[in-house]
Amino acid sequence: MFSSDERSKSSSAGEALDSAGFEQVFRDCAVDLHGYAFSLLRDAAAAEDVTALAFERLYRSRARLDRTRGTPRAWLFAIARNAALDELRRRRRQPLETHGSGHADTAVAGGEEIARVERGAALQTALQALMPRERELVLLKFHGELTNAELARVLGISESNAGTRLHRALLKLRDACAQLGIEDVA
Amino acid sequence: MRIIRFPHPDDAPDVPTPPEVEAALHGDAVGPSAEYWRELRADVRALAPPLPPALEQRLRERIEQRASAGWQRTPGRARIRRALARITDVLGSRGYATALAVLVPVAVAAIVAVALVDPGAAPQTRFAKSAGRATSNFSGAAGSSSSAKAKGLGAPASAPVASQALAPQSADAVGPAQRVQQRGASITLAAKPEEVQSVADQVAQLAAREGGFVQSSHVQVQAGRPGEANLQLSLPSERLSASLASLGRIASTRAESQSLQDISDVYDAAKRKLADAVAERQALLRALARASAQGQIESIRARLALVGGAITRDRDAFQSVSRRGSSSTVEVTVLGNANAGGGGLTLSRGLHDAGDVLRGALAALLIVLAVLVPLAVLLAVSLGAWRVTRRRLRERALS
Repeated sequence: MFSSDERSKSSSAGEALDSAGFEQVFRDCAVDLHGYAFSLLRDAAAAEDVTALAFERLYRSRARLDRTRGTPRAWLFAIARNAALDELRRRRRQPLETHGSGHADTAVAGGEEIARVERGAALQTALQALMPRERELVLLKFHGELTNAELARVLGISESNAGTRLHRALLKLRDACAQLGIEDVA
Repeated sequence: MRIIRFPHPDDAPDVPTPPEVEAALHGDAVGPSAEYWRELRADVRALAPPLPPALEQRLRERIEQRASAGWQRTPGRARIRRALARITDVLGSRGYATALAVLVPVAVAAIVAVALVDPGAAPQTRFAKSAGRATSNFSGAAGSSSSAKAKGLGAPASAPVASQALAPQSADAVGPAQRVQQRGASITLAAKPEEVQSVADQVAQLAAREGGFVQSSHVQVQAGRPGEANLQLSLPSERLSASLASLGRIASTRAESQSLQDISDVYDAAKRKLADAVAERQALLRALARASAQGQIESIRARLALVGGAITRDRDAFQSVSRRGSSSTVEVTVLGNANAGGGGLTLSRGLHDAGDVLRGALAALLIVLAVLVPLAVLLAVSLGAWRVTRRRLRERALS
């Protein structure tokens, strides 16, 4: 994972997104974008499709990318969100439905690993306790690491509204975690 | 066994403010609370599987493959969708939205202003459609030739009248629905005193060129005094508008007026009278053929002579009425004026012509805008509605 400074540096250098810039954006965002898509769709193949689609569109639009309207990262997450929602709508499937833990195929070796898996399951339950829109907002914030302004642009709402909704969702998530006994999430 | 502590009101953590959470997530804040949010984020991110190297490679290949496929291989529906998205992006950008917000009211205001400022068009149209029962006389004051031309001599009014004025030339073809109209005009031209005679000659030549003739003329030129010329022209009605325009090019127009009078009743009466006389003559000829008595024959012949005279008079009257319809009388006055410009290219005439051109261009632009602006507004509204609907449909997937 990279820091916010590194991200902003990589996504705002230069006006046009050349091949090197695209490669940098891919390295910076691919993992997060795939994680976000997977969290929304709970389907590895669909998450791969959405990730590929978002990067493909960014690649085609790299010459006319308007940096004043947001970073490539925010643009990517907006595309991925729309594609994921389209996919959800197409499949008429509830978002974030329980599919077990995201990658439960990890070999469980010892007590520490068991505790980690348990913590993940509890956190998943806490996330399920949120409203779908709140959950999506939290996922977008955590995976995308977007600012509130970028969140607002992606969601098509005002920045203050995005901040308020996000804050409310985070507090609800914290309360849900506390009720489930996840006091120390780390 | 995992022990879950029962929550107690005293245990409720402090509620951080949104900026505090934001600062914590962006790494700008320190402390247990900030650490908590960062760890929560890391834990949520850890719920998603890591990107395997094989998947990353596959993603790269897919992106490269699909991106190189290019626009041409995009399915038509997706292409349309992308084009629409691009248009909505353009329309939705702040600069274009501002420009649109300014241009639309300005265009609408301009259209309304032209409609209000140029009321001459509507009455002329109505006047032309009413087939000229009443006489219309448009005149402009001296020195305001442009307004007189704009209000009284526009093509929309003259064109239908001219076409109707052709009717009398073929008398038998005139039906009950056609109207016969007599048109007239007067125009005052201003020329330099030494050019009055020349301008009068040019007017006469113009009349001949247009298929008419000079009915009368009077030219008065005196040394040291402004000259004046009066000409009465007879011009074909269908060429009246063009002739007036040509007269305006000879010298600057000071005043101009047109008149129109419906003479359909007079025309019909003359025609009927002629037809009656002809019918009477034919009846008399038939009676003459049947007559056997000498007294009867002579009586019919006497009546035939009278009817023949009547036919001659009626034909003359009918032809006179026909000529009134097919020809227009134009009175041309040429005033000698030291300040008047010549017929050639001068600054004032150039400005005047430029104004005419600009006015015409503006009118054409307004017509185009009148069509395009509502279409653009409709398109923008449709695209906006389409975007909102699409967004709502997507959001519904989360509900």
